[in-house]
Amino acid sequence: MDWAEKYRPRHLQDIVGNAAAVRQMYEWAKTWSRRSRPLVLYGKPGIGKTSSAYALARDMRWEVVELNASDQRTKPVLERIAGSSSTTASLSGATRKLVLLDEADNLHAHADRGGARAIVDIIAESRQPIILIANDYYRLAKEIRAVTEPVQFRALQVRSIVPRLRQICAEEGISCTGGVLEEIAEAASGDLRAAINMLYAASIGKDRLTGEDVHTVRKDERSTIFELIAAVFKGRSDGDLLRMAYEVDDTPDAIEQWIEGNLHHMPDFASRARGYDYVSRADEYVGRTYRRQYYTLWRYANAIALLGAADAAGGHGVRGRIQPPARWGMMSSSKRQKAIRTGLLRKLSQSTHIPQNTLREEFFTLIGLLVEQDPKRFVKELQLDADELNLFLHDRTSAARVVREAAREERAAATAEKKSRKKPAKSAADPPEKRREEERSERPSSQATLF
Amino acid sequence: MDGNRTIWIEKYRPRKLEEMVGQKDIVARLQSYVKTGDLPHLLFTGSAGVGKTTAAVALARELFGDAWQTNFREMNASDERGIDVVRNQIKQFARTSPLAGASFKVLFLDEADALTPDAQAALRRTMETYAQTCRFILSCNYSSKIIDPIQSRCAIYRFGPLDREAVVEEIRRIAAHEGLTVTDGALDAIVYIAQGDMRKAINALQGAAILNPTIDETMIYEITATARPEEIGELLDRSIGGEFNEAEQLLGELLHDRGIAPNELINQCYRALIQRDMDRTLKVKLIDALGEVDFRLSEGASSDIQMKALIAQFVLAAQKGA
Repeated sequence: MDWAEKYRPRHLQDIVGNAAAVRQMYEWAKTWSRRSRPLVLYGKPGIGKTSSAYALARDMRWEVVELNASDQRTKPVLERIAGSSSTTASLSGATRKLVLLDEADNLHAHADRGGARAIVDIIAESRQPIILIANDYYRLAKEIRAVTEPVQFRALQVRSIVPRLRQICAEEGISCTGGVLEEIAEAASGDLRAAINMLYAASIGKDRLTGEDVHTVRKDERSTIFELIAAVFKGRSDGDLLRMAYEVDDTPDAIEQWIEGNLHHMPDFASRARGYDYVSRADEYVGRTYRRQYYTLWRYANAIALLGAADAAGGHGVRGRIQPPARWGMMSSSKRQKAIRTGLLRKLSQSTHIPQNTLREEFFTLIGLLVEQDPKRFVKELQLDADELNLFLHDRTSAARVVREAAREERAAATAEKKSRKKPAKSAADPPEKRREEERSERPSSQATLF
Repeated sequence: MDGNRTIWIEKYRPRKLEEMVGQKDIVARLQSYVKTGDLPHLLFTGSAGVGKTTAAVALARELFGDAWQTNFREMNASDERGIDVVRNQIKQFARTSPLAGASFKVLFLDEADALTPDAQAALRRTMETYAQTCRFILSCNYSSKIIDPIQSRCAIYRFGPLDREAVVEEIRRIAAHEGLTVTDGALDAIVYIAQGDMRKAINALQGAAILNPTIDETMIYEITATARPEEIGELLDRSIGGEFNEAEQLLGELLHDRGIAPNELINQCYRALIQRDMDRTLKVKLIDALGEVDFRLSEGASSDIQMKALIAQFVLAAQKGA
């Protein structure tokens, strides 16, 4: 049995790292009621999302029904499996059933047609707790995000991974030479499962583990891309550069982006401009490769980017730190920003009856000023979330605070309204502030008040 | 010459891990998996002809003995790359119990990087759910094309290109079996042509052996339609030296008299240029010219015109550079 499975944590208290996430899950489960929102556990692979969900179920004595991407997840399938288990009581006497939708960000556009809609429906109808798991929160359908509660899992630190590996070694009776476990933990880059798998693969049939054993089974060679970039700027030989590029095991488009991201290390502007010229030419070959599906062209991209940049750098080396291409971070955050902006414009457009384009081009500044005057009011009227409000306020903390306060006030208003409906005779005696709140919450729609 | 009726890369594919040449560290680890009967999911990465498939098949043979074919299945992901393959065929194989007393089965998924990201996503939980009954060996050229969640579930082995010793050793073994005489020059030629790819090496040997059991380098270059490294060197010397007419004449010989494909000539020029000791700025310029012609040929341009223009570009670039 492989060790990642064998040493999968059984209880929440055994989960390595991510204490805040685990606590949030436990609180959620303890206070779970039919009105609780499902959780979305999200984060990189191998950091304990699925394990935490199972451990939670075990600690709570809940049964688990799991659906993942290896099952077909069309609407009928989801409804049959998750639908039935989420609305009918369990037969085996367990108090509840936890419906686990793993890889929820991987609903297939065709094979899983209607899957996102079905998940939203199931969430709405379920009488059982639901947990969704995803690597990329922002690839989840927006409708799903709107009705769930996110729980972020973070990559694990080397110092949390090593003790876990040491513990496994002790149980398996394996002795390690100094630094081996640290090396594994480093190579795993935050992925505990990968670390355990590496340890397992390296130590089968052995009772002593040395650095040698680890080198053959590394998760990847990400460290060497730094070495490659350093070698380019240092002006190592052509043969060395291309051999290292081969070892880095990355496609030319990635290597080219790394070079581009470090062109500021060039000794002067002229060399930097030459560097850009080479990278741009290399990029053209990458484009041609994909367009023609003719992968031989890749080698020209690599050779021109690497040898060209090395030529431009003239052996001056790197000043300061080598950095991963900024564009990668930018791409994901701008993709995310775009999704948030689109959602916001849709809401605004519906309530103002102004097309999204016009709103964006002519009204955004004006609305921004209005929102700054009274953010809470806008949050309530348009049901903005913290991300959307932040587009106007440019201040995450206060955006989050305003959204929290607005939600609290709305809940209070709703309870007050219920009470007053039950006892209509008494409502006249209610304090005036409450009356005002009631009146507002009974207004049919927001446009009358806002625009 | 019975041996010539089957393809030698199959006939001489090592049946046991210990028979593999090269990849010593990897082979040693795989052997200890056999010894303990314990196997993690594996991801083999590396270019073509370096032993990924051979290692997987040999591993299965040793793990399962006579029953290896019932417990081992090989699939090529580039044939069927959609999500349905994972949800149907792969799952079907993975979920059924192993036979003949084996404790698990092995699914070898070749060219796993050809699977669409969706299919890869579907694969990852299958790997975990059925790990009791089935272990996966995935092979690919670039591990970066395999999604992180799968890499996280596998022990990754990088197969490097085979070195000269490994290729020579294998060629000598086959030559001895087939009663061939292979000259030292022919061995050099085979190593040059193979570029670390054992399949290319063995194919060249078998091709030459059909013509004659005594094999020299001329036969190897002829059968593989490859120019000698010296000829490529001369072509570059002349064009960089500004002798267009001489370079053009040599080009004509190689292309027309010797029947070497323009693409092959470009490949060889690329290799020679990379290794050539020369001014770097000029080198990049020449590589770019080469790439441009390679691209134009792929667009359907005439090889005659393009190749001559290439030589002319070389001459011009060298003159400007100097």
